[in-house]
Amino acid sequence: MTSLQSQLGGGSDAGATAEELAEGQRSISIAEFFEKNKQMLGFDSDAKALVTAVKEAVDNALDATEEAGFLPDIYVEIEDRGDYYRLVVEDNGPGITKDEVPKVFGKLLYGSRFHAREQARGQQGIGISAAVLYAQLTSGKPARITSKTENGDGARYFELTIDTDSNEPEIDVHESASWERPHGTRIELEMEANMRARRQLHDYIQYTAVVNPHARIEFHEPGDSEKFERATEDLPPETEQIRPHPHGVELGTLLKMLEATDSYSISGFLQGEFTRVGAKTAQGVCDKLRDRHFGREMAWRPPERHEDAEIEPAVRGAVANKRAEATAAFARRVTQEVREDDRVAHSTVAEVVAEAADGVEAEYDQTFGSTVREKATEAAWSEVAADRTSDCYAVVDGATTTRKDDAVVDGLARRLAETFAGQDDRRNRLTREELRGFVDRAADATEEYDDATFGDTARENVTAAFWDRARTVPDDVPKVSTVADQRDAAAELLEAMRETDILSPPTDCLAPIDEELVEAGLRKEYDADFYAAATRDAEVHGGDPFVVEAGVAYGGDLEEDGEVEVLRFANRVPLVYQRGACATVDVLREINWRNYGLDQPGGTGMPNGPAVLMVHVASTNVPFTSESKDAVANIPGIVDEIELALREAARELKSYLNKRRSLEKRRRKQNVIAEILPVMAEKLTEVTGHGPLDVEDSLARIMNNVLLERSVNGSTVELTVHNFDDTMVAGEVTEIVTADPGGVDDATVVEMDDEWFLKWDAEVQPGESATLSYSVEGDPDFDVSVEGIEPEKLTINA
Amino acid sequence: MSTDTDTDPDLADEEAREKLVDLAAQFYDQFADGTVPSMNIPTRTKSNIVFDEDEQVWVYGERHSTRSANSVRGAKKLLKAVYTIEFLAEQLEQDRSSTLRELYYLSESWDVEHAQFETQDQSNQLIEDLEIVSEVTREDFHMRPEESGATVMGPLFLREQTRRGEREIHCQEDVGEGGYQIPNNPDTIEFLEHDADFVLCVETGGMRDRLVENGFDEAYNVVVVHLKGQPARATRRLTKRLRDELDLPVVVFTDGDPWSYRIYGSVAYGSIKSAHLSEHLATPEAEFVGIRPEDIVEYELPTDPLAESDVNALESELEDPRFQDDFWTDQIELQLDIDKKAEQQALASRGLDFVTETYLPERLEEMGII
Repeated sequence: MTSLQSQLGGGSDAGATAEELAEGQRSISIAEFFEKNKQMLGFDSDAKALVTAVKEAVDNALDATEEAGFLPDIYVEIEDRGDYYRLVVEDNGPGITKDEVPKVFGKLLYGSRFHAREQARGQQGIGISAAVLYAQLTSGKPARITSKTENGDGARYFELTIDTDSNEPEIDVHESASWERPHGTRIELEMEANMRARRQLHDYIQYTAVVNPHARIEFHEPGDSEKFERATEDLPPETEQIRPHPHGVELGTLLKMLEATDSYSISGFLQGEFTRVGAKTAQGVCDKLRDRHFGREMAWRPPERHEDAEIEPAVRGAVANKRAEATAAFARRVTQEVREDDRVAHSTVAEVVAEAADGVEAEYDQTFGSTVREKATEAAWSEVAADRTSDCYAVVDGATTTRKDDAVVDGLARRLAETFAGQDDRRNRLTREELRGFVDRAADATEEYDDATFGDTARENVTAAFWDRARTVPDDVPKVSTVADQRDAAAELLEAMRETDILSPPTDCLAPIDEELVEAGLRKEYDADFYAAATRDAEVHGGDPFVVEAGVAYGGDLEEDGEVEVLRFANRVPLVYQRGACATVDVLREINWRNYGLDQPGGTGMPNGPAVLMVHVASTNVPFTSESKDAVANIPGIVDEIELALREAARELKSYLNKRRSLEKRRRKQNVIAEILPVMAEKLTEVTGHGPLDVEDSLARIMNNVLLERSVNGSTVELTVHNFDDTMVAGEVTEIVTADPGGVDDATVVEMDDEWFLKWDAEVQPGESATLSYSVEGDPDFDVSVEGIEPEKLTINA
Repeated sequence: MSTDTDTDPDLADEEAREKLVDLAAQFYDQFADGTVPSMNIPTRTKSNIVFDEDEQVWVYGERHSTRSANSVRGAKKLLKAVYTIEFLAEQLEQDRSSTLRELYYLSESWDVEHAQFETQDQSNQLIEDLEIVSEVTREDFHMRPEESGATVMGPLFLREQTRRGEREIHCQEDVGEGGYQIPNNPDTIEFLEHDADFVLCVETGGMRDRLVENGFDEAYNVVVVHLKGQPARATRRLTKRLRDELDLPVVVFTDGDPWSYRIYGSVAYGSIKSAHLSEHLATPEAEFVGIRPEDIVEYELPTDPLAESDVNALESELEDPRFQDDFWTDQIELQLDIDKKAEQQALASRGLDFVTETYLPERLEEMGII
């Protein structure tokens, strides 16, 4: 994925593009470069160019205002000027100074820090400058920029062009101007364009309004205009910039970071430039780098006192021209120390020798120079390594299955021991690849001569066992400058970084919209009956944290027929092209929406019905399928989260629809029964010749309803609430009487314009009744209502 | 049940009408109490049929189902019931009658759509419900089935109360070869005189005609009752009355296959759909003449092999408590063994007179009837 992105200013490599442009592409003109890459940049057709330009300018405007802590107030205008289209985008951001103008609008050549990790809209950093260049190349007109800073002395007007020979942005005109906004920036571009992608343009603007409920957006196009008001006064939380995570960088980025860093040591570099790397983690990475860069040293078990090989005499023999007692003490110490450990590598011996030499020097006033030390080391090492065969046998035996014939194990061990003995590097220092070579050779020979088979797994197990036994060398890791110069060393470092367990990156660099605002955004732009949203916890992909959110709107004025509307967002930017290539759509199609109450012909594919489904992926590095950043790539971890988020929101939809359906069913039932019962009662009256019947009680009972009845007996009024349901009900009963009831127990009485409002909070257990009574004189009018109980479940017979 | 033929028919009608109105009043009271109108009826399935040892007939068991206005379905059913009650009450008042099918079509004229019947099964079932709940037979509601009743031929003199006055009929002398047609409500018949020794119920029309042609009814003083397949209620009622009132032995003559044994069963023990009327319709004394599987072997009758459904039916009859006696167990096991079945008319393979001159006399003598 990231390799795609690094083709041109992808995510993490935003600035790399600029630099590569500046360095690698100097030979061709910027115009030529643009022409070659305009597809990737989203300027491949006149229609799409306009959408892309609007998108880049609006993203820029939103970022600028938010960063300065202003609630965005964005104005977009598209005007058909005959030959060209004119695009105007204004914001109420902090405004920019003359120095900043080229950096903001000519950023093509001025990348920001390439390794900054932050959830930002325009990740590639090339966006608005590409629009400026496109406008300039198609219309020949400069970008007209007006800007006003909060404390500055009025607005400034600039005309900016990019010199296609020198590839440098230039300010051609710079003068003071007057502008009604207190602060902000306005950019005006003229370009070849058309309105064929009007739908995408509208989608982009509307979806931007959904996903930025804190923004106010005004949109004018030829013949039409629209305003999107804000739904919240809260700005999204500011995102923290984080350093890159060691698991999330590419070799190219690593090389550039190595070049740019002020650190001298790799450890300092790791701790200084990456997130989640402390001294201990850095040490872990360095050790892994040593293993790769220098290889490890094979360690052997030192001989015991009674064995043939004797360290002490050998060391004594290696020391010449020293006092006997010093020599003896030295040899004794070395021997003792070496025997302390049962895995002794060459470097271990060297350390022990150095230590013993220092000790003896101090004690016996006898100098042990480097030559003596070396000789002593070699002598002791020869003894330690004298019997490699038994060590090899133990390792091979432990690493192979018990089914292996002992003679075969012995044969392999013997051959390996011989190989180690004959190794050019007397220290038995070797990389893992070399070790595997040794094992392969010995195994091949064993297969040939001992008539055995050593498969790949067995060889790998043996290799791993030896590698475990080997010791990491104490050599100093190469310096930053060395690694930066050697691609291979840098690759080793990258591998070492990847192999080290490192804490996941922190997630406070992300700013999800959050469930409440996703809902608010949908509510603002869609008139539906039901809204739900789900924000997942942050997860990590590669070195980049990400958060997935999903939203659902259902019913109301949403289109009944055809597929549901799908809204896709990446870092709060609507994605309006390449829907079919997007991971969000893949996930949507695979979910069985019938489970969630949506119509889905065939049980797979896009669901139908009056619904809007929305997915937002926020990350420091959203993986896109291509440079034009129109579709989220199919990364398993992200796909899983998208599915979980959608399912979470859909579960709410399901329970809403279930409830709605059951109420609907209930309503239908009630309608039919309420039609039948009176007819039946009338007929019964006819057949039996008895008086007229009232069916409300029976009806309430049939519907398991809550029945409210009023009976007036003289001056006593009784409201009886029967609960025929099998769950408890609670509601607020309000009776309006046109006469003064005086004080009423358990009720609050409020008089307004000769009407008395009596309010009770009634709670009735299943199958029980509650009576609310009061007294009133005269012949007043009554009007009772109940709140807190669904109208479908309520029968009022009063 | 108004089985008493001596009562004034108008009084019987009035009683039936009152019972229907009582049922309506029951619903009325339920409404008035604020409860849910409902009626309770026995479940009319095989699993809810029990044998009444005293009466030797099959009646409904303890299981009941409730038709209640609780559900849309139930409310619709009750509404139809109330409308039907009104219709039946008026019909009785006006001394008119109608067929089950007419009731179904008539409901189309009712002003409320939910009261109208959607299928004739619905109206038939409702009439059965009302019979059970009101304890009035549908004949007493003046409801008749569509098909004309079966026929009787034999030395029997009776008086029928017809809508056009009384008619006195001798079932041999006053009728054509087709015989006397049983009215829908045989309780309008009064037996006057008879010269019969026993009653022979015959399943198929072909055999009945053969017996009449051969003069079997005259030769042996037999009342030949044509069952016409599964016998209608009227046929079964008349058979029962011939047995109970004239003290005539009853024998049943059918094909030799499991379905015919069930015809015998419904004459003798009662059927599932009308188990509430079993005491009224079943003749437990009725005996089976044949064709027995034994006869197939003995008379070497031409046969058909048993179909799989025949085998299943026989096996289920082996489990059926109605057939739990030595006779039926032996015969059914024999039939399964020979894997054959035969029709009544297979007897013709031994000559057209074989049945009247050999088979029936032999069998009836064996059974002690003649």
